Amino acid sequence: MRRLISLLIIVAISPVALAKVDLVTLPSRDTVQLTIYNSADMTLVRESRALTLKEGKNSLQFSWANTLIDPTSLEMLPKADADKIDIAELVYPPRVRNLGLWNIESGVSGKVPVEITYLTSGLSWRAFYMGTLTKDEKTMRLQCYVRVTNNSGEDYENAQTRLIVGTVHILDEIAELARRQYPYGRPGEVVRLDRQIPPTGAPVLRADSVKMRALAEEALAKPKEIRKEGLSEYFLYTIEGTETIPTGWSKRLLSFDVDEVPVVNLYKYEEERYGQSVVRFLSFKNDEEHKLGQTPIPGGLLKVYRTAGDQGHLSYTGQSSFKYIPVDEDVELNLGSVADVVVEPTLMDFKADNYRFDNRDNISGWDDIYTFRIEARNTRDIGVKIEIRRNFDTPYWNLEKSGDFDQYEKVDMDTVKFTLNLQPRSAKTFQYTIRAYRGTRQENWRESSR
Amino acid sequence: MNSKRIKLTAIMLLLVGYGIVQARIKLVALPERAATVIRLDNPQATLIEEERVLTLQKSLNKVDFSWKGVSIDADSIRLVALDHPDKVTLLSVSYPPNEAALVWDISSADNFAERVRISYLLSFIDRLITYTAIADKAETQLDIKSFLVLRNFSGEDFDKARVLLDYGEAFKQGINHEETKQMLFLKTDNVPITKIWTFDATKLPWDPEQLENRNVGIPVSYRIVNDTESGLGEFALWGGKARIFQDDGHNSTIFLGEDVANLVPVGEKMELYIGDSRDIVVTQRKMTDTQINIRRNNRDRIVLFDTDEEIVAKIENFKDSSAILTMLQHIPGQWDMEKCNIQYKRKDAYTLEFEIMLPARTEKGPAVKELKMHYNRRNVRP
Repeated sequence: MRRLISLLIIVAISPVALAKVDLVTLPSRDTVQLTIYNSADMTLVRESRALTLKEGKNSLQFSWANTLIDPTSLEMLPKADADKIDIAELVYPPRVRNLGLWNIESGVSGKVPVEITYLTSGLSWRAFYMGTLTKDEKTMRLQCYVRVTNNSGEDYENAQTRLIVGTVHILDEIAELARRQYPYGRPGEVVRLDRQIPPTGAPVLRADSVKMRALAEEALAKPKEIRKEGLSEYFLYTIEGTETIPTGWSKRLLSFDVDEVPVVNLYKYEEERYGQSVVRFLSFKNDEEHKLGQTPIPGGLLKVYRTAGDQGHLSYTGQSSFKYIPVDEDVELNLGSVADVVVEPTLMDFKADNYRFDNRDNISGWDDIYTFRIEARNTRDIGVKIEIRRNFDTPYWNLEKSGDFDQYEKVDMDTVKFTLNLQPRSAKTFQYTIRAYRGTRQENWRESSR
Repeated sequence: MNSKRIKLTAIMLLLVGYGIVQARIKLVALPERAATVIRLDNPQATLIEEERVLTLQKSLNKVDFSWKGVSIDADSIRLVALDHPDKVTLLSVSYPPNEAALVWDISSADNFAERVRISYLLSFIDRLITYTAIADKAETQLDIKSFLVLRNFSGEDFDKARVLLDYGEAFKQGINHEETKQMLFLKTDNVPITKIWTFDATKLPWDPEQLENRNVGIPVSYRIVNDTESGLGEFALWGGKARIFQDDGHNSTIFLGEDVANLVPVGEKMELYIGDSRDIVVTQRKMTDTQINIRRNNRDRIVLFDTDEEIVAKIENFKDSSAILTMLQHIPGQWDMEKCNIQYKRKDAYTLEFEIMLPARTEKGPAVKELKMHYNRRNVRP
């Protein structure tokens, strides 16, 4: 068992001399709560312990060698008789590392519950997803897992485990603060890190029967639920019950499992962004209509499979990492370029027109007129949606369009978007002519665009 | 144990008549330090004041003040007689070669056990301020605690010193060399806060769709005013690292974020950036950017023009609570606003500030607002 954090109470007879210590007790943790962040290597630990205090001055020693605790984050609060217990100071004694001494003035004698909080590094979590498309690719089973990893150097047994989804602003890496020789550094110098101390000493390949048993017993129980709630700009996931994650171990928990999420097979074509290939996206929305929308979806990696055959076999479609998706926002998962949906733009005609000349008879303006034919082919046996973006090299343009497309939209001053819905194994063709106003002809663009 | 790196020796020069100083003879035992004051009111330097009793003989006395292993600014050393200031006179100060020391020539009108105060600037001893604050669940107020952190790496131990800050009572505190002490020195509950979301168009990406798998975080800050209405306002709040937590409604807290607070004089505001919101999404696009009113020279070259620009920003609030977004837009040079659908405040010549009230998300979807800004930049030269 790895217990690196220890607490000693030293009740001093004399307020000054620590040598005259007459009592030492080692209270163990009663409860521990971990709040683990994923935007930074940081965990807020809250532990409760019962201290035996004497009336008068007490010194409490807290040490954390070989852990990754930020000593400047240590705080202790009495949970009873708060008005009678004065936590006067926290001392980081000279020439001693990883040790803090709380000097407490107590007006009561006996057991006092206290809460100790601190930030530590080395615990982390991430979300990852498994998507299983039905054969017709109209719906997907979406399973979200969270994986919690403890490399903190400390075993946290029976800890209430909470996960924070969100981006916190931090000034210093907790791991760096943990490695400082002096908690607050020295005056007048840039804080130097002591690289002598290894970041964590947790051996991973250790056969530990107690741990194995603990993990196995938990595995037998039904999957735990994860309660989700919004706080400030974050989402707090609280895992039901408590968890024991020894240092060096990870644990995977199911966050949600939703079947039959309607999905759209969206294909995008934009030369400047994706080159000549069509890129496949899986699109849905984080809302009730899609059987989601209870909470935001944390960013992570999604592996997409497709049901193949009647025996429940799977085929691997691809993977996509995606960002944090707020409730009601659209999700677009990039599954990479494909060959079974094709978009082919062809320049069918080019001409220049409306030449203007300056007073030296040099060319000062003209129009370039391009005609493109775009053919989109869906060779798949399911229906698809295709978005085709065309970018122009000037904001001075007019466009005439004709043919078989479903929607047209001006995205910004030099980009337009055509949207096509294609039936299985079908093709559509449309055409557009763009007139680009060059040089002094740009002055005529405004009138003509009216 | 004191390291006693600072030594004070009173030397009575017996052979006054010789004029030229002999080898300094240290005759008197070290006078013990009496009251010591560590004055931390200036963040740049720490002033130490210590009282000692010197046994002075009538006529000329030499008092040797030396230090080793500590960094004292020799020019800052001062000596003041406390008991008989009119009868004890400091004549001169000499600096011996290659020594961290000085010698005071003191003239005394009589034999005195004189209390003197020696002051000097000592390096590598200072104080920091840190803040820990807990916001309530509704994020309307903060319980603020401020801690004083004393750091002594001066080389000198201080057994019991009076520590003085720039306000408040002095307090007794001992601090040894290489010791750091953290103590609570300010606690104020229920300080009102304003939560601010800021989108600055020059700092954040305009079109999140163009970013592969990356969210654009809108910076979120808490604003506190250092005034009496906030339960503060007695003194300037020192700058320091502030860690902010939030009550989670389950007898626990979560960590919201941290920032460096600047020194906040009375009446001024403190803004603490805590993190980014990914539930407010701004998609800004330029829909028009063309030249108009073109003026040419006789060679037909453009010498001056105006621009016609149109910006559309879609703001979506996916949060289930309302928010006020401060949006900063920037237009360089001379400009005229042709049309703008949301009122703005001109922060400076080139900066427009919009306060956009965003209602909470409803069952129908996110609350959406659209800013449309149509303006002309004037007299632009190519």
